[in-house]
Amino acid sequence: MPVETIIGAWVATGLTLFIFSFLYKDNPLFKLAENLYVGVSVGYTIVKTYDTVIVQLIWKPIVENGEWALLIPVAIGILMLTRYVPKAAWISRYAFAFIVGVGSGLAIPRTISSFILKQIEDTVRPLLALAPGEGVTFTWNLLNPASSLNTIIILVGVSSVLFYFFFSVEHTGPGRVVARTGIMFLMIAFGAAFGYTVMARMSLLIGRLTDLIEFTDPSYGRPSLWLLGMTILTLVVMARRSSSLPPEEK
Amino acid sequence: MTFAERMLRIDRRIIFLVIGFCTLIPLLYPVGLPIKISQEVRGVYDHIESLPEGSVFLLSLDFDPASKPELHPQSISLLRHAFRKNLRVIALTLWVSGTGMADQVITQVAREMGKESGKDYVFLGWSPGGTAVIINMGQDLYGAFPADYNGKPTKALPVLQGVASLRDVNYAVSLGAGNPGVEAWYVFGKDKYKFELGGGCTGVMAPGLYPLLRSGQINGLIGGLRGAAEYESLIGQKGKAVAGMDAQSATHLAIIVLVIMCNLFYFSSRNRTRQQGQSEA
Repeated sequence: MPVETIIGAWVATGLTLFIFSFLYKDNPLFKLAENLYVGVSVGYTIVKTYDTVIVQLIWKPIVENGEWALLIPVAIGILMLTRYVPKAAWISRYAFAFIVGVGSGLAIPRTISSFILKQIEDTVRPLLALAPGEGVTFTWNLLNPASSLNTIIILVGVSSVLFYFFFSVEHTGPGRVVARTGIMFLMIAFGAAFGYTVMARMSLLIGRLTDLIEFTDPSYGRPSLWLLGMTILTLVVMARRSSSLPPEEK
Repeated sequence: MTFAERMLRIDRRIIFLVIGFCTLIPLLYPVGLPIKISQEVRGVYDHIESLPEGSVFLLSLDFDPASKPELHPQSISLLRHAFRKNLRVIALTLWVSGTGMADQVITQVAREMGKESGKDYVFLGWSPGGTAVIINMGQDLYGAFPADYNGKPTKALPVLQGVASLRDVNYAVSLGAGNPGVEAWYVFGKDKYKFELGGGCTGVMAPGLYPLLRSGQINGLIGGLRGAAEYESLIGQKGKAVAGMDAQSATHLAIIVLVIMCNLFYFSSRNRTRQQGQSEA
């Protein structure tokens, strides 16, 4: 096995265990891993951005291919840096105005089309379907998202939730029933979202534990076992030192 | 203090240990619980299956190492399926922090399937701009990515012959862990350039993408590790996702039991407090 793979296994195992040590309590091992994570992420992003943007998309096309038109976006980008010079900070507004203008122009029509019009179109589907040879039919299948029953459920859900957020009318009498129905739909949605969130977090734990199990293999030098022992020992030593200190030094 | 009150004040580290063991034991001793294939995962599989050899398949790996356990198995399965069908694969990422990982997964699967970079597949790497990259690709793919990840000019690559923009893509799948991801590919890609789109996402994002699935804006959705396990089962190459399903079921069961117990203890403790209040009054 290549040396870099073995080193990678030891580093990954150590950092995983250090992060997990937070579940016991906050400690220097966790802080070391946390700071390393932030540092490495930022460092990686800066290097990749420099290489891709400055070198590949700006420097090489201008110097090697003579694409001088690229100097225009470069100039707009440089204007943003004037934010750091108080007297010239106003110039950066031109760059921001350009970005906000282009961004809004691109995003607003597409977002309205995709998330409002298309979703409204899907919500107001016909409640009854016209099947060839069968005439008008009503489908009861709850498992089929396109069934008539599900169309009614969605219509009731959307209407009642919208009514719940309509505060100009007091929620009394029949309005209270509709608002309560809206709350029920909201609770079901929150429950589904929470269920998926639990699944996602457990998946992350499974991913780390799968790697830790793999790294107990002798071909890696059993980093999981060695580093688990070392982490536990460090936590025990720190807990003992902490308990032996006088209260004012803790 | 009653038993219910003591349980409600239990040290949370005990709960961490319970969850830890519920995850670890099935990973060490798997039982192989059955995996049912959902319609949304089958939607992606069936569409790739229906594509003729040489079709253009775009895979956008829009995630970073933080979402690796969920989306890495999805990307491996999708790439294996696409390479097995001899599709031309165009891969890229809209997340700068995921560039190295994306390159690693594509290179690994391509080597395993005997595919050659530039001829059978291309990894375009990362380009700044997020959604603007999608719009650029829709207008001119070579303008958005003049060179691939290895620095080779994209215009000279045989795999991109006849592919000028996103309009020439037969099927695209975005594996997204946030924004830009599946939604961005729909809004700025499919809606404008009219190619078929499927999605893969983390479990946290899945409920938010179901409306797009139901309205037909995406034709399939692979959600979280569970979705990855279903896809691994569909292509018949079981990997890390299937291996994790027993642990997933065990932890879910443990959490359901904990939620029920917490509620029982809470209501028991509340009833007792009320009874005490009434007797004192």
